[in-house]
Amino acid sequence: MAAFLARRLAQSGLILFIVIFLTYWLMGLMPGDPIDLMVQSNPDLTPADAARLKALYGLDQPIITRFWNWLTQALQGDFGYSRLFGQPVWEVLWPRLVNTLILMLPVVLLSIVIAVPLGLLAARKAYGWFDYTVNLASFAGISVPPFWFAILMIIGFAVTLNWLPASAAPPGDAGLMDHLRHLILPVATLTILNVGTYLRFMRAASLQTLRQDYVRTALAKGVSETRLLTHHVLRNALLPLVTIIALSFGSLFSGTLIIETIFAWPGMGKTIYDSVLGNDYNLAMVGFLLATATTLLGNILADLCYGLLDPRIELEEVKLGG
Amino acid sequence: MAVEYSNPGLPTHDGFWRQFARHRLALLALALVVLLALLALFAPALEMLLGLDAGAADLFNRLAPPSADHWLGTDEAGRDVFLRLLYGGRVSLMVGIIAALLAALLGTMIGLIAGYFGGWPDGFLMRATDAVIALPLLPLLIVLAAVDPQKLGLPDSIAQSELFSLYRIILIISLVGWTTVARLVRAETLSLRRREFVIAARAQGLGSPAILCRHILPNVASPIVVATTLTIGNVILLESVLSFLALGIQPPTASWGNMLNNVQDYLWDAPMLAVWPGLMIFVTVIAFNFLGDGLQDALDPRARR
Amino acid sequence: MRWIQLTCLLLTFIISGTAWAENKRLVIGISQYPGSLHPAYDSMMAKSYILGMTRRPISVYDANWEDVCLLCTELPDFDKGTAKYVVTESGKEGIAVTYSLDPKAVWGDGTPITTRDVMFTWEVGANPESGIDNFEFYRRIEKIEVIDDKTFTLVMNRRSCDYQGIPGFTLLPSHVDRPYSDDPREYQNRTLYEKDPTNPALWYGPYRVSNVQNGQSITLVRNERWWGKKPWFDEIEIRAIENTAALTANLLSGDIDMIAGESGLTTDQALAFERRHGDDFQFIYKQGLVYEHIDLMLENPILADVRVRRALLQGIDRDAISQQLFAGKQPVAHGSVNPLDSVYNPDAPRYDFDPEAASRLLEEAGWTLASDGVRRNAEGEKLQLELMTTAGNKTRELVEQVLQSQWKKIGVDVRIRNEPARVFFGETVSKRKFTGMAMFAWFSSPKHIPLTTLKSDQIPNEENNWAGQNYTGYAKPEMDQLIEDMDLKCEADQNQAAWDRMQELYATDLPVLPLYYRANPYILPKDLKGLVPTGHQYPSTLWVENWHRAP
Repeated sequence: MAAFLARRLAQSGLILFIVIFLTYWLMGLMPGDPIDLMVQSNPDLTPADAARLKALYGLDQPIITRFWNWLTQALQGDFGYSRLFGQPVWEVLWPRLVNTLILMLPVVLLSIVIAVPLGLLAARKAYGWFDYTVNLASFAGISVPPFWFAILMIIGFAVTLNWLPASAAPPGDAGLMDHLRHLILPVATLTILNVGTYLRFMRAASLQTLRQDYVRTALAKGVSETRLLTHHVLRNALLPLVTIIALSFGSLFSGTLIIETIFAWPGMGKTIYDSVLGNDYNLAMVGFLLATATTLLGNILADLCYGLLDPRIELEEVKLGG
Repeated sequence: MAVEYSNPGLPTHDGFWRQFARHRLALLALALVVLLALLALFAPALEMLLGLDAGAADLFNRLAPPSADHWLGTDEAGRDVFLRLLYGGRVSLMVGIIAALLAALLGTMIGLIAGYFGGWPDGFLMRATDAVIALPLLPLLIVLAAVDPQKLGLPDSIAQSELFSLYRIILIISLVGWTTVARLVRAETLSLRRREFVIAARAQGLGSPAILCRHILPNVASPIVVATTLTIGNVILLESVLSFLALGIQPPTASWGNMLNNVQDYLWDAPMLAVWPGLMIFVTVIAFNFLGDGLQDALDPRARR
Repeated sequence: MRWIQLTCLLLTFIISGTAWAENKRLVIGISQYPGSLHPAYDSMMAKSYILGMTRRPISVYDANWEDVCLLCTELPDFDKGTAKYVVTESGKEGIAVTYSLDPKAVWGDGTPITTRDVMFTWEVGANPESGIDNFEFYRRIEKIEVIDDKTFTLVMNRRSCDYQGIPGFTLLPSHVDRPYSDDPREYQNRTLYEKDPTNPALWYGPYRVSNVQNGQSITLVRNERWWGKKPWFDEIEIRAIENTAALTANLLSGDIDMIAGESGLTTDQALAFERRHGDDFQFIYKQGLVYEHIDLMLENPILADVRVRRALLQGIDRDAISQQLFAGKQPVAHGSVNPLDSVYNPDAPRYDFDPEAASRLLEEAGWTLASDGVRRNAEGEKLQLELMTTAGNKTRELVEQVLQSQWKKIGVDVRIRNEPARVFFGETVSKRKFTGMAMFAWFSSPKHIPLTTLKSDQIPNEENNWAGQNYTGYAKPEMDQLIEDMDLKCEADQNQAAWDRMQELYATDLPVLPLYYRANPYILPKDLKGLVPTGHQYPSTLWVENWHRAP
């Protein structure tokens, strides 16, 4: 167990390094720089100003040199300043990390609360009208273009009905209730987009368990429906669900860019996007580092859960899919 | 004379169709996908028939409501929305299908090699798969979509082509989308190579490539087909997300994604303009999802009711 | 019955009255969040917009596009002796201009604004290591002579007729920010504007920053130390919502009160919104100094022929674009100088939409129509051009597709290829890699001399390290001379003559196809009064103390 964990962590470390280097290198392949845009839109600036600023930020040096400089400093715990925000990288990232968690945790919890019972019931009544409805709903959630759906939600609930605020960010001096009110719409939107995946997995896993011989035996022995579902099926079906949740950490962490943009809620997705396009290497690298680490940790967690919940499975053989 | 071991292969046609036809939504989805594909395929013919030019802007006929000439009205540049939707569909479907097929091809090769040969190739390939899965997908796509093709050494003729954004999207998506198929194929191959018919074939002196093609591949086809179908839908969705970030297919080439993105500003003025491409994406993606679901039910013996 | 009516009336009055009194808060939506609040770094409109309410430049251009003092008492003038030509200590032909700061002017903590702040600002600005945006401006200041606490003389090492204003001089508070400038390289990160942006000592406008929600919003409250007219609003919140569809939705749902014209919607977006919600808000469109045009690559053999350039201009219906896409709010441009600018020449040649004339010109230039509708020359080469612009700018993408359709009708095959803005400006345009046409905008100030865009020594190339903005490669000795005259012959007649001839030459040679001037659309609450759009880069917020609500 410990050896497995140690090996996985070492591998993850290597992957992390490769990802970081790769993104640094790729960002170096993006032509131009926001400084050029500044010169374009401000008559007071001259191209000489642009060249001087680029040199000041070290943008005229070869990419390998810059990566090495960054790496040695980062390893000493100095992640530098964000160029876009003029603040230390962690000071920029910390509130955004919190923002992401504020959005992500309710979404994951809500998704589980919805997906578990509905998935179970759908599997129990497989191919009935209830199952069809659940299927249709979960596929609808997966299939809708996120931007389009988010705007529809805003038009519906904020503009037409005027029940909820249109953006996630409350006024500067808002209280807790106001904060919560502003979060309802984005959380609901993300949950609807997200729950389908969980639901599909929950249903498939429950279905598979229901087909097992011991479940049939239990049914034949007259075990009550509720007891069967909660005791036998649920326990077995939770396994793949836990896996998929752990695996979805990464995409929830950095993949909610669209929702963050529409609801004007600065989280990790938006920050990474802005930093990449703004050539803010320091910020982008730490953003990528966090996003990749979250995914990798999610993967390890998924494997561990698999091992813990179902000791029959050899840890090395566990792979996603199927 | 060696004993003939039967190769389980794909289910028989009859069995497959009977099974598939029971999934009513999947059947409906199949019909829809075929219809969309046909419409997209015959877009130029329809254009001729209607006597319109899908690309011609008409400043004096912007945002027109539906009429006999323009069945769904005209867009912000005065172009026929119906025809644009068909042309957009051509691009969106093409991107989806080609990217999904490329990803499947790549994934199958990697999965076959890893599963069949085991040992260090397996170890290496699976670690690589882990690495790709660990990539933060969306931010990485953003970086890739902004990279200068000329700095990567691509010739100008490709890098400056009008359709470059299209190639780029297909390539990027297939480069990160192969992992699911690779894992599925590897797992199946791993169990197949210990089966009697494979061992028998090897005993008969068949080479690895022949065994892979003749005996293993047909048996791992089902999960590939299912995964590829599901991927098509995802790719179409992903293209719309990239379009939202202005990193997708570039105008004047129409795709559902960029059509949807372009009409954001006419939301209050001409909401139907946003409804159509959004609906097309939604319906197509959901259809591919149901199709995949039905195929899974019909192809996977374990999932038989 | 009467008393019921009366009570009702009274009640309504009281309720609306209280609502009225409470509504001294204004929430402004903008489409961009300023990275930092330091006035000298990262210039962007969203930042100037906010800083307009919290600090005041020494002088700016006002809504009539004239130099005015905001912090100074009087503009320098040759007649009054506050401006005079000098030979600087380094032996350059220079100019010395004297300003006096408003005697009442104080920072938000009550400390008077003095020449010490002027010296401090110059010290930071002229140090290349501090990384200020417009270092070139500070470098032109060779010396500052301090006369007393409020009066100082700038000795510039370059003469220019445009000597009166110094809007680029962004005063910094020496009494609180000086400790952070000991290490110029680190100043940018250590300055109080980053560390403690809500410190009142940093601000000296009608408002000061009271709350910063990074990436979301900035709240301003009244600056009690403000010496000018008392502003009407108690509190102003500026909220950044990047997605414009979401921005308009926020306006409709009441989450924001207005959308800033300077950094909000584009004109076509605002027009689309107005068509549906025109009655609910006040719409102001102010055309201005953002000049949308197409730079032509003059080294392309096709475009080297002035007849082709003229044909291209006559082949497009700019009036229809202006009318149909922008409801006339973004007027057709016939040259680089806006008609609202005092130096505008109304008699310069202009080209109206005339496809026949365009076709004739193309025939004349040897391009004959082939059966596939595309013109070819004697060698059989197609009349094919590439049109590029910034990807993701929907207005430009729309306009370029319209242009493509119109050019197709006169037999010109135009291929569209767009790139993200940073690539387009950072490589393609600035290194002159575009092969045909590049569509973008120049942001200029009133009476802006096209020094970097039209002079022949400003053509970017490898040797000059891609300096200069003359991307078309336009080189004409007469133009070079005119530009020098505009800059140095300050006598009104001579100066105007140079401007007139420059505009004439520009319209004759057509190195650039002028398209239209962009407008800033302001979407305001119906009861907001006193906001006067400027149409240039000095935002309407510089006069925020005049804003108020009135039925």
